[in-house]
Amino acid sequence: MRFFQTIALLLAMCMPLAASAKELYLYNWSEYMPEEVLQKFQKETGIKVIYNTYDSNEAMYAKVKLISGKGYDLIVPSTYYVSKMRKENLLSKIDKNKIPNFKNLEKSLLNKPYDPSNDYSVPYLWGSTGLSYNADKVKEKVDSWSILWKPAYKGKILLTDDVREVFQMALVQLGYSGNTIKESEIKEAYELLKKLMPAVRTFNSESPKVPYINGEVTIGMNWNGEAFLAQEEMPSMRYVYPKEGVILWMDNFAIPKNAQNINEAHTFINFVLRPEISKIISEEIGYAIPNREGKKLLDEEVRNNPTSYPSDAIVAKGEFQEDVGDAILIYEKYWEMLKTGK
Amino acid sequence: MNERSLFKTIVISIISLWFLIFVFVPNILVFAVSFLERHENNFVTFSFTLENYQRIFTSVYFTVFAESFRLAFISMLICLLVGYPFAYRLARLKGRVKHILFMLIIIPFWTSSLIRTYAIMIVLKTNGLLNKTLLATGIISEPLELLYTGTAVTIGMVYSLLPFMILPLYASIEKLDKVYIEAAGDLGANKIQTFIKVIIPLTMPGIIAGCILVFLPSFCLFYIPDLMGGAKELLIGNLIKNQFLSARDWPFGSAVSVVLSCIMAVLLLVYYKSTKLVQKSGERGGI
Repeated sequence: MRFFQTIALLLAMCMPLAASAKELYLYNWSEYMPEEVLQKFQKETGIKVIYNTYDSNEAMYAKVKLISGKGYDLIVPSTYYVSKMRKENLLSKIDKNKIPNFKNLEKSLLNKPYDPSNDYSVPYLWGSTGLSYNADKVKEKVDSWSILWKPAYKGKILLTDDVREVFQMALVQLGYSGNTIKESEIKEAYELLKKLMPAVRTFNSESPKVPYINGEVTIGMNWNGEAFLAQEEMPSMRYVYPKEGVILWMDNFAIPKNAQNINEAHTFINFVLRPEISKIISEEIGYAIPNREGKKLLDEEVRNNPTSYPSDAIVAKGEFQEDVGDAILIYEKYWEMLKTGK
Repeated sequence: MNERSLFKTIVISIISLWFLIFVFVPNILVFAVSFLERHENNFVTFSFTLENYQRIFTSVYFTVFAESFRLAFISMLICLLVGYPFAYRLARLKGRVKHILFMLIIIPFWTSSLIRTYAIMIVLKTNGLLNKTLLATGIISEPLELLYTGTAVTIGMVYSLLPFMILPLYASIEKLDKVYIEAAGDLGANKIQTFIKVIIPLTMPGIIAGCILVFLPSFCLFYIPDLMGGAKELLIGNLIKNQFLSARDWPFGSAVSVVLSCIMAVLLLVYYKSTKLVQKSGERGGI
């Protein structure tokens, strides 16, 4: 009997503790948040972070959608998923009064078409998809996507395994928007890509730097963070911003509609936007931080490396990916035709 | 005795429940969704259609199925040609060598096949082990382009699936009684005749089981063609994944899954029937 009493007492004592323990359910890309940052946050605020990861926007979206945004307090969708989820009423408005560090963000990277006044998203990390090549093998000047169609590079080309990125690359060459929803334009891009197909050695969105380092490919598409990391292993690795315009993307913090711990989510965003914290993130993850104050703390070498931090002119000319709605079916149709050789 | 049957009932009902919740219900859901229509914001709308199935019979998807079939068939054939002599030797071996060889077949199962795929990529890459060895010994002067080709895909498939061929083959060759082979020899059959007319028919159940065990997984293994072939072709596995994730067309993705399941069911039925047939002809002595 004593035993049960003790248990009951212990349970009673635990209850209020459990109720008051603050939690934050963070759903983020895999390998996209340094452990150190989470630990610091936990220590300072006492909020316990429960960390889950995904490997594609699509997988994250499907999960959040099915549970209508319940269960996660903070997610990190990319640009076009911010616009999609915002339109579908899956996100809740962010209260900027609770995020004083919002002022640290780079003005030129705010208020983009996918979320015009940043009411639903706060930029976390950003990057681009541009042209990469091995300077030991490619001796001519590289400044345009069209170089991939030159016969000299047949069988030595890498494209990312991403329908939107590959079509965006072809569309901007034709002078169209990479976010077009017109079938005629997508079809034209398909005709162009069809000519490139025999020259493609591999599609890779796992880790595009690897085939470059292994010597399988000499030129093609790449993400700037991957190129940046590859340069350490392979000094002849180059990353250029094509003159037609580069593909830009930004991963943003957003709060799902039915999140339970909204205050904690705001506290976390504010924490990450501190200059010294974003410095830690930038150094460990390799992609660029949209944090003006944090950038000032970075080594000059990193800060001035155009691979990570392109000039404002390049950013202005580049294009962020947006949601294309039902037109994704048109893209998918031509993507299937491309890969089955029809 | 009573306790035992209680235990039995509990175990069986737990397993049945597990099957019901995690196998039967999801499959029914997939089957049901395949008759619905896609909806941009809610995945599906509840209106009945057969369009998803009609769409499968367009030439693009026919190519996808045909290509997956071709790849699976070739992998199966090579596994059989490589696996049979190996299993035959293995069954005839005795003692330590046999144990060591067995371990070599089993050990790869301890590692994820994804990791093994990455491992073989390290061997095949342009500046990898194979090319370096061949270049150093002077057999070739230019590195071979192996990775991201059809050959690489076949190598990867055979590498991953070979044990599934060897084990059932071994089991049936082991059972093969030497008396039959001797009898065939006594009756004047040469080695090739004995092999074709006696050994193959007697080990047929193993051959069929091995072929099915290799063919079915290779039909839907998509990460090996993706990683080793450079994702240049669309196979059924990728198709289903793309439809569910990037196109968000759950009904069509479900329809493809249902068709795939049907093909597999037919193959299993063929397997079941053929082993029965082999058994029967064995009993009648009509080899």
